[in-house]
Amino acid sequence: MRRVRLVSILVAGVIAAACGSTGGGGTTGNSYSGKTIKLGAILSITGAGGVYGPQSRDGMMLAVNQINSSGGVNGAQISLTVKDDASDKGQSAQVAQTMIQADQDLALLGPTLSNSAVAVHPLAESLKTPILAVSTTGIHIVPDCNYPNATPCKYVFRDSLGEETAIPDNIMSYANDAHPATGVLLVAQDDKFSSDGGKIVKATVAQYNINLLKVISFNKAEADLSPYVTQAVQLKPDVIFITSLGGIPAKIMTEARKQGWQGQFLGGNGFNTATVSTQAGAAGKGARSASAWYIGNSFASNADFVTAYKNAYAKNPDQFAAQGYTAIKILADAAKRANLTFSDLPGDRDKLRAAMETVNIQTPLGPFQFTANHDVKQTVWIIAMDGSGGFTLVHQIS
Amino acid sequence: MGQQILNAIFIGSIYALFAVGYTLVFGVLDILNLAHSAVFMLGAAVTYTLVVNHGQSFWVACVVGIVVSGLMGLVIEHVCLRPLRRRQAPPIAALISTIGLALIIVAAIEQGQTGSLFAWLWVDGPNSVAFPVNTIPNPTWYFDGLTLEASKVAIIPISIALMLLLGYVMRYTQVGRGLRAVAENPRAARLMGLDVDRMISLTLIISSALGGLAGILFGLALGDISPYIGRDNVEVRGLAVIVLGGMGSIPGAVIGGYLLGLIEVLALVLIGSNARGGVAFAALFLMLILRPQGLFGTRLRERI
Repeated sequence: MRRVRLVSILVAGVIAAACGSTGGGGTTGNSYSGKTIKLGAILSITGAGGVYGPQSRDGMMLAVNQINSSGGVNGAQISLTVKDDASDKGQSAQVAQTMIQADQDLALLGPTLSNSAVAVHPLAESLKTPILAVSTTGIHIVPDCNYPNATPCKYVFRDSLGEETAIPDNIMSYANDAHPATGVLLVAQDDKFSSDGGKIVKATVAQYNINLLKVISFNKAEADLSPYVTQAVQLKPDVIFITSLGGIPAKIMTEARKQGWQGQFLGGNGFNTATVSTQAGAAGKGARSASAWYIGNSFASNADFVTAYKNAYAKNPDQFAAQGYTAIKILADAAKRANLTFSDLPGDRDKLRAAMETVNIQTPLGPFQFTANHDVKQTVWIIAMDGSGGFTLVHQIS
Repeated sequence: MGQQILNAIFIGSIYALFAVGYTLVFGVLDILNLAHSAVFMLGAAVTYTLVVNHGQSFWVACVVGIVVSGLMGLVIEHVCLRPLRRRQAPPIAALISTIGLALIIVAAIEQGQTGSLFAWLWVDGPNSVAFPVNTIPNPTWYFDGLTLEASKVAIIPISIALMLLLGYVMRYTQVGRGLRAVAENPRAARLMGLDVDRMISLTLIISSALGGLAGILFGLALGDISPYIGRDNVEVRGLAVIVLGGMGSIPGAVIGGYLLGLIEVLALVLIGSNARGGVAFAALFLMLILRPQGLFGTRLRERI
């Protein structure tokens, strides 16, 4: 009897030791096997952000399919649900709440627009659900998602390049190349992303001796932009800065060229998709922006991503697709190391959040780690529209 | 400044054409047809769909767009107005029923996606789309520092000709006399043998056809067609126009349309871009305070 008890203790000790070794950061293949990791993406498939959201979705789905078909995350399959917020802040928050509370998703991605993020991110933070922003570049996305409350948000991360980095880099790059003396800013005042971009332009131009002749603000629903463009063009600036999204940048470029203006357009993240480049057509040729990704970049996993994307969708990916793809890879890596239980959702969400903070992987955006503020630090690519729906590389800023 | 005046005339023509339809219904029925902005959008949406998704020429699509808009006027009359009129409901009931219909039309278009119930009508959901570049020849001319784009320039004579035609019909034809009789006193008109319901239907058809055409011209010239173009761009402005010009007055709507376009542009140039919308409505407010009947508003019997 004593021998049986001794053997039992020994066996229990061996099992405990085995469990302890996996708890130290290794994988828990058995507990993951056959389980589902539920993720929810809130994207703008329609509305003003509809020129960005579909590419984010396609990039995410590609990554999900690749991971699932190669055995999943320690044997668990990823289930990604994408819901359209129609580029509306209220709808975006409603979708997020459903995903967190009703659908019981482990983590969220999105939303597409910064304007919607100010509603969605504080909600995810308050419900202690990790959320990874894939295209929101405005100010106060991370770490202070509850701005003006400066307390860092624990559950909000982003893999998209903030305009506070991108716009100054773009202006610096053009100033070094062409030394422009004057500029006019056209800004959609009623959209967070756009007005944030405007603030950054205003704060940056003086460093490069660019005299900002006028700030012309308009509302994003305004269809007739001609009077605003006329006002800008008549000042004969060297540069027109456009901080706006959706179809607006292309409309401004087309109207300005029709009115005979031949200067340089500089913009923000709103330029960085083939849809906008296509809409602008010849009028947009040479329009520059700073991008988080360039199709020809030489990072280890980029070529594989581009090839897989082309095979899946018969078109080139863009920055938004690369960021969406990267986001799934980040979450998969974190989930793999998080020792998820699949039975304690709040606990699993917290474990995933902690694991996200230590992500260190190769992605199409480059080697990826979050900063202490849950932001991204990466190479910036200055790109120019090529006049036929694509982009050419102008500079690389590491 | 010349280019800005031209911009004002282009957009003022759209406002005027839209507001003429608005004011026509008010003149005859004494109610505001708030579904007019949805008809404006419908005209543009139908024309766009026929061109882009059904391969029709712009001109055929344009005619169909105007006809569909006119028929929507009949729907407004039979669904929103006539049943309430029969029950002698107060004008506010008709106002609310037209708002309801407008919301339904916008929601129906908004739901139009590939594979949906409304896919034959619209597949772009809430997205903004534009006619393809070569839908109609659209050369741009440069004259004395001014940029003249054919699609915008064409709006001016089309709008003016249609408004003159409408003025002629109202003043010199039997139909016009009948409409004016109904506007002045429906009961007396009925006693004189006029089919008042038919006259009202005709008013709604003419008004909505003009609204639809305004939407088509708007979509063509500004490259922006979405379920929200009526709501965002002309609904409240149209109201401002008819208040400025005088509720129920066709010449008032025409002058009011151009005036609003001019006020908006002058506000932009002289005060700043933020003032464009605000100054327009400040002018409307001033008009309501100083001359509530508007520029051309007179006594009831002289309307339309």
